[in-house]
Amino acid sequence: MIKLLLIISLLSADSGRGYPSGTTYKTYGFSDQVVMKSTVEKASSAVPLILFIKGDSSWISRINYSKKSLVLVNFLIAAIIIFIVTMIILLIIILLNRKKMEKEEHLHQYLLEKYQSHIINYLFGSASAEEFRLIASDTYRRQVLIDQMIDVSINLKGEESKKLTSLYKLLSLDKDSITKAYSRRWHIKIKGIRELAFMNIKDANAVIYKALNSSNEILRMEAQIALVRLSDDNPFEFLSHLTSHFSLWEQITLHELIVHHNIPHPSFQKWLTSPNPTVVTFALRMIREFKQKESEDNILETLFHQDPSVRYLAVQVAGDLDMRSTLETMKHMYKYQEYKICLEIIKSMGKMPDVSMIVFLILVLDKENDVQLQIEATKAIRNNGEEGHKALVKVMESEYKNYSIIIKHVLDKRIF
Amino acid sequence: MESVFLNMFFIITLVLSGSYLILGIFSAMALRKYLRKNSYVNYNSLVLSPLSPEVSIIAPAFNESKTIIDNVRTLLSLYYNNFEVILINDGSTDNTLEKIKEEYELTKVHYYFDYHLPCERIRGVYKSKNPSFKRLTVIDKKNGGKADSLNAGINVCQSSLFISIDADSIIETDSILKLVKPFLEEKDRKVIGAGGVIRIVNSCDVEGGHIREIHLPGQMLPRLQVLEYTRAFLLGRMAWSQLDGLMLISGAMGIFDRETVIKGGGYSIKTVGEDMELVVRMRRRMAEEGVKYEVTYIPDPLCWTQVPSDIKSLQTQRTRWTRGLVESLWTHRKIFFNKTYGRLGLLGYPYWFFFEWLAPLIAFSGFIYSIFLVVTNSINWPFYLLLFLFVYTFAVSVSIWAILFEEITYHKYKKKRDVLKLLTAALLEPFFYPMYTYFAVRGNLEALRGKKGWGKADRKGFEKKKKRVP
Repeated sequence: MIKLLLIISLLSADSGRGYPSGTTYKTYGFSDQVVMKSTVEKASSAVPLILFIKGDSSWISRINYSKKSLVLVNFLIAAIIIFIVTMIILLIIILLNRKKMEKEEHLHQYLLEKYQSHIINYLFGSASAEEFRLIASDTYRRQVLIDQMIDVSINLKGEESKKLTSLYKLLSLDKDSITKAYSRRWHIKIKGIRELAFMNIKDANAVIYKALNSSNEILRMEAQIALVRLSDDNPFEFLSHLTSHFSLWEQITLHELIVHHNIPHPSFQKWLTSPNPTVVTFALRMIREFKQKESEDNILETLFHQDPSVRYLAVQVAGDLDMRSTLETMKHMYKYQEYKICLEIIKSMGKMPDVSMIVFLILVLDKENDVQLQIEATKAIRNNGEEGHKALVKVMESEYKNYSIIIKHVLDKRIF
Repeated sequence: MESVFLNMFFIITLVLSGSYLILGIFSAMALRKYLRKNSYVNYNSLVLSPLSPEVSIIAPAFNESKTIIDNVRTLLSLYYNNFEVILINDGSTDNTLEKIKEEYELTKVHYYFDYHLPCERIRGVYKSKNPSFKRLTVIDKKNGGKADSLNAGINVCQSSLFISIDADSIIETDSILKLVKPFLEEKDRKVIGAGGVIRIVNSCDVEGGHIREIHLPGQMLPRLQVLEYTRAFLLGRMAWSQLDGLMLISGAMGIFDRETVIKGGGYSIKTVGEDMELVVRMRRRMAEEGVKYEVTYIPDPLCWTQVPSDIKSLQTQRTRWTRGLVESLWTHRKIFFNKTYGRLGLLGYPYWFFFEWLAPLIAFSGFIYSIFLVVTNSINWPFYLLLFLFVYTFAVSVSIWAILFEEITYHKYKKKRDVLKLLTAALLEPFFYPMYTYFAVRGNLEALRGKKGWGKADRKGFEKKKKRVP
């Protein structure tokens, strides 16, 4: 777009023909106050304030600005000067920023290596906490030290982890983190909450609890994750009070946290009745991931959930966990569901093969025109071993549809 | 009458400058928020998560034999656990299919699928005998163009999300993670598509389908396009995303909700601007159905592409872009200032209409008029010079502003001399504007004549000239 400006504006640079000398006219979109005489002689008296060029300027006479408003000329000159100054300032910022970045990168790398060896020496060697005092005297270095301690803490457990936390407190770095957690700026608050969670410091739990209801979703998510790590009892209690949308991203992050940090997980079936459908989907996912098969009855009930996304996931989880008691229900609900759920029902039937479903699956294969439903029904029949094989052979003999192409697709093991 | 005419031109200039400034401000705000938000994101949690959604990468290829092996290798090595690659050989007349079949040990499989979306006849679907390449599916079809190939890929893929890419692009290894994230963060508004920043690979050191070292293009034309892309992606699209007026996800790389695309009728084969047309059509449909939705944009560099390095290729590309723009705007003219379509109708569409389509035509007429004034010796040279300086300094300022954005965000060009080269390019770029304007006018004329097709573009291999692309 910018390239167009050049040519468009140059259009305005005509000789100004068509304006008889001495006539009054409005200038280029400016207000009525800039209505002025077009001749050079009258221009200066018509415009009381001229920033750069006076009406009697010899330059004006020389350039023969030909009935252009002096305001316009001054505006253009002012704009050009502003743009040139902006260019120079931006240029200086770019060059200084680059220099600063290079310097910080080197310093950061140097400090990281230095602090890492210090910390490891402290944890596993003979170094004393006093050696850190000097480092912790400067804000920038304190932050690098905090970052490095967090990095190291990820791989620590037991005594070493406690020792690192003690050092963190001894150097009063926890106060820095708490101050950040109380900050009014959300991104700083998050940084503080993260540091506290990683270093297992519970002194600011109150402010983290408060952040659970924040309208800022990023902050809210960080608070949830931090509390799972910092709560002594019921770390997942926030799920019972969660009214906002619990996004899949938040669910993935929380799941990764549970797995990575071996956080004891409760039985998630209690949240299958949550009024928040996104909490129910999280519970379903966790039931599947942690193979909580004792939830079978509750999942059966969830198949009737009013939210289709919950029903869809419940069907999927039932299949993944081989919850055969759901098969009949799935069969009966099939014709009332939307396409996506129907497809998932057939897939789940394929995951838990049951000869009693073959007739139903053949019916699906016969009646449905959708390719995916046909393929999944064929797969589900195939999974029933010899009975399934017999059924497919019988189906192939039928002249009702060209089944061979579907069966060839399903039997080709290179297609997943 | 003449004064009205001239006033109009000057007002357009001011509005153009003003809109650029406003977009710059919105872009800065959106970028700041994004960078702050994502400084805390741990994409690793998504890499191995069993909860991550399945994604299909659809890559159409036509006569790409020089680059296809490496590009498929890059695609197969992307950092994500749940994806498949669907390569479509769009009736190549070279040995693209043979090369890929040989390299990845492909054999024809019995593949049964629906023609949900119209596309040319699919001659065969290939899978590898080697389990290492089990993610790869190759479709061989009759030539039908890029949109047609993408439709074929959508027909075959089964994931709920698909990424459309140009097979000759180089994809950043973490690009799927970043593209998928907006869909995972979906709240009350359905995410229907997302795009990211496209970078220029010319002159970069490329090895095995990966970028080993980033260099600024050595030639002037690609270098100017680096500036142009930086401005467009970091200033323009970022701002439009913030304003909910995004009308284009680059065809080089974008992610879409498959169901929404199929319901919308897939890619249009009637236009060469299928990427823009698809986004506009999806948005239009969602608005008409009263569904809350969003199209998001990620400022992270996700994909590297070759840009034309000679004037002829550049002309082919730009005239095609203009044709695509004209076709999309015309097809969806109903949106113009129609409040039913929200900001798309009231902001996005009018912006593209006035500033991307109409402005080059006005600019071209200005160029002709200027020549007329010079020839008739009636030009006001001092005033002309003043206006030239006004626009020139503004244009250079915006370019430097874009360079600053790049510096403080992703900082891809590490050498100091690269920045200086970019600054030099920013100073020279305005002198190339008449050429771009001419291309736009040609594109309009071709659109008027109803020209179809993409025109020829010469593809250069990534490792032919001592690992450098000219």
